[in-house]
Amino acid sequence: MTSTSVVDPAVERAAGSVLPNRRPSRRGWVGYALIAPFFILFAAFGAYPLIFAIQLSFTDWRGSGSVNWIGLSNYTYLLTNLEFWGSLANSGVMWLLIVPIQTIAAVAVAALLSRSNLRFTKVLRTVVILPYVTPMAAMAQAFILLFDTNFGVTNYLLGFLGMEPIGWLTTTFWSKPTIALFVLWKTSGFALIIMLAAVQQIPGEVYEAAAIDGANRVRTFFLITVPLVRRSVAFFVVVSTLGISQMFLEPYVLTKGGPYTSSKTSGLYLYDHIGASDLGTGAANSFLLVILVLILSLAATKLLRSED
Amino acid sequence: MTGNNNPWTAGSPMTRRRLLNAFAVAGGLGLASPLLSACVPGSSGGGEEKLAPSPSAAASGTVTLWMRDDDLLKVFKTVIPAFNKKYPDVKVNMVGVDIATKLPPTLISGTGVPDGSFYEDVNIGAQAAHLFDLTDLMAPHAADTLQFKLDVATYDQKLVAVPWDTDPGMLYYRESVLSDAGVDPASLTTFDSLLDGARTIKEKFPKAQPIPLEQDANLGMQWLMMMINQQQGTGLVDANGALTIDTDAFRRALTWIKTVADEELGARSKFASTGHVAQLDDGTISLVPWAIWFNFLPQTGLKTTKGDWRVGLLPAWEEGGARSGVMGGSSFVIPKKAKNPELAWLFYEFAMYDPAGYGTVYGPNDTYPNGLNTALPSVKAALEGPPLFKPVAALGNQDLWSIDTEAAKAIPPGYRIPSWFNSAAAYLGVNMQKMIDGKASVDEVINVSVEQITKNLVDRQR
Repeated sequence: MTSTSVVDPAVERAAGSVLPNRRPSRRGWVGYALIAPFFILFAAFGAYPLIFAIQLSFTDWRGSGSVNWIGLSNYTYLLTNLEFWGSLANSGVMWLLIVPIQTIAAVAVAALLSRSNLRFTKVLRTVVILPYVTPMAAMAQAFILLFDTNFGVTNYLLGFLGMEPIGWLTTTFWSKPTIALFVLWKTSGFALIIMLAAVQQIPGEVYEAAAIDGANRVRTFFLITVPLVRRSVAFFVVVSTLGISQMFLEPYVLTKGGPYTSSKTSGLYLYDHIGASDLGTGAANSFLLVILVLILSLAATKLLRSED
Repeated sequence: MTGNNNPWTAGSPMTRRRLLNAFAVAGGLGLASPLLSACVPGSSGGGEEKLAPSPSAAASGTVTLWMRDDDLLKVFKTVIPAFNKKYPDVKVNMVGVDIATKLPPTLISGTGVPDGSFYEDVNIGAQAAHLFDLTDLMAPHAADTLQFKLDVATYDQKLVAVPWDTDPGMLYYRESVLSDAGVDPASLTTFDSLLDGARTIKEKFPKAQPIPLEQDANLGMQWLMMMINQQQGTGLVDANGALTIDTDAFRRALTWIKTVADEELGARSKFASTGHVAQLDDGTISLVPWAIWFNFLPQTGLKTTKGDWRVGLLPAWEEGGARSGVMGGSSFVIPKKAKNPELAWLFYEFAMYDPAGYGTVYGPNDTYPNGLNTALPSVKAALEGPPLFKPVAALGNQDLWSIDTEAAKAIPPGYRIPSWFNSAAAYLGVNMQKMIDGKASVDEVINVSVEQITKNLVDRQR
């Protein structure tokens, strides 16, 4: 039995008026032309480098000479390497020291600035956002001067209280908290911008209704403000997780990952491979981080949306 | 009306799914094609290995040279007029660049490659495959060049850089502190006597920690290498690339450093940091076995002790031993993908080996009124000739030239810098820091470093 068309030619002819033509209309080409710049740029600077990096992660290429396919060798090297896990652990501690505090504080301050009758709220907003727009290098230099073990202002003040000087940036115990403090100082303005936008979107009638029902400020904050900014919190947590997984400049400028490797974050460890022209291992490290961040971001999003 | 206004479907031959499929196919091709063609950016295969220009006054064209974007750029620009007297038709375009960051990706991508570039010796090895073999061109100058500078720029028997500066280890000290403590600088001829001197100073000034113990792992490792080179010529590896860490030289140098730390004779800080400068000024530190370029601190960084610093030869490890070792240094490289590599060679040859060239670089100029004294030429004729820079008040108007050049000529040959040198700081440098902090023994530093460097660096150089 041979197969034959089951579509009646008359039906096909009739349908011709509604089915797409094989040739694009002039209008269609205009549409493609309009979106082409984005796709060309994306292909050149997004897709191709990504694909090239995936390919690179399976090679031993060091920037010169021949490219040898080495399978999963770079991945197994990293996954069995204590330094890789140590850098992840350092980033994890940074996340714990930064994200929860910053998120909660940003929501609270945003609510305060939006809903309270505080004076000088505009000045306060500017003051909080100022560090975010100040160059990192300048802030880092100021921070190093403040937290120098022997000559820093912080230890000078501790001395007044009869306390011993602390090696803020030179001891393994304090290096991560000190960098976290720097990050909090530097980036809390960004957190505040996000949360201010979210809080200001909450209709005033909701708060009026709560006030009529007798809810005090604390109950209003936890039962109205926090639930209604949940999506913004999820967004901020995901963005912060991404940022911390890539954190490089802060430890590089303040401690160069030290003392020893106590503040070597996953971003700094990745940079070490690239700096040493070990491009294959660097690419593999990148993709392991991508997978990890993807899992963490999905988990955070799911968790924060679970009670929607 | 039956018309569909959605551009993804109406009147369009390509549905969204088809377009995505097309991108997927393009992506797949992108994934496969570079491997299939083995055509990766910067692949250096097929390029000329050796550069063989015939130096001629008739040379013409424009040469683009990258220079570190600091005072050195200003200094080397002053060489151009003298160069143009000899090569009038060559236009030199000297550009200040963050070379450590920008040169490697430029060499790898093959895009915007300069004709020549300044490069620190510790970084050259990792990019050696992208650089011209200058062995033949340098042959007439080899006998006139300090041997260790030729050694550090040689990879696979190819000399891939024109040696520039020599950075010998010296001993800097605070004259007033030593005088008050009764320590004669002339007695500091061995590292044991240096230790004795530090003990004497500490007895007199209990808060003193006379010798700096660098807190930066990378710089600390370079300091250690100075002591190793001084003792055995080699550094981390020998001429065959074999590790030389488990040796008497390492054990002796690390033991000395540990003694400094254990007896609280060492001050912990990072070089040129606010804390370090304060320790130098307030008398905490008074004995500094360090590279020649420490002298920029007394000249420009210190606040209250300018003029109180002096320099002598580095102590030897045993009587009659070498009185210096290498700590730092830079050279000039010529990329294989340069458009005018011959012109770059002519400039570098002039600047390094012509008395008019090196005389301009190191002699008095607008940037350095007394001359450039933080480094020395690597050319023996220059080192043995008349002084290029003058004494400075910040160092007591000493005859710096005589002391510094004597140290430069004392640097033992045989120093090799493996391509993974900088990465070793994460192991040897960090382990040494742990030892200084009392968390590791000398043997642990050696054994653990050998294991880590072998596993993570040597074995991964495919």
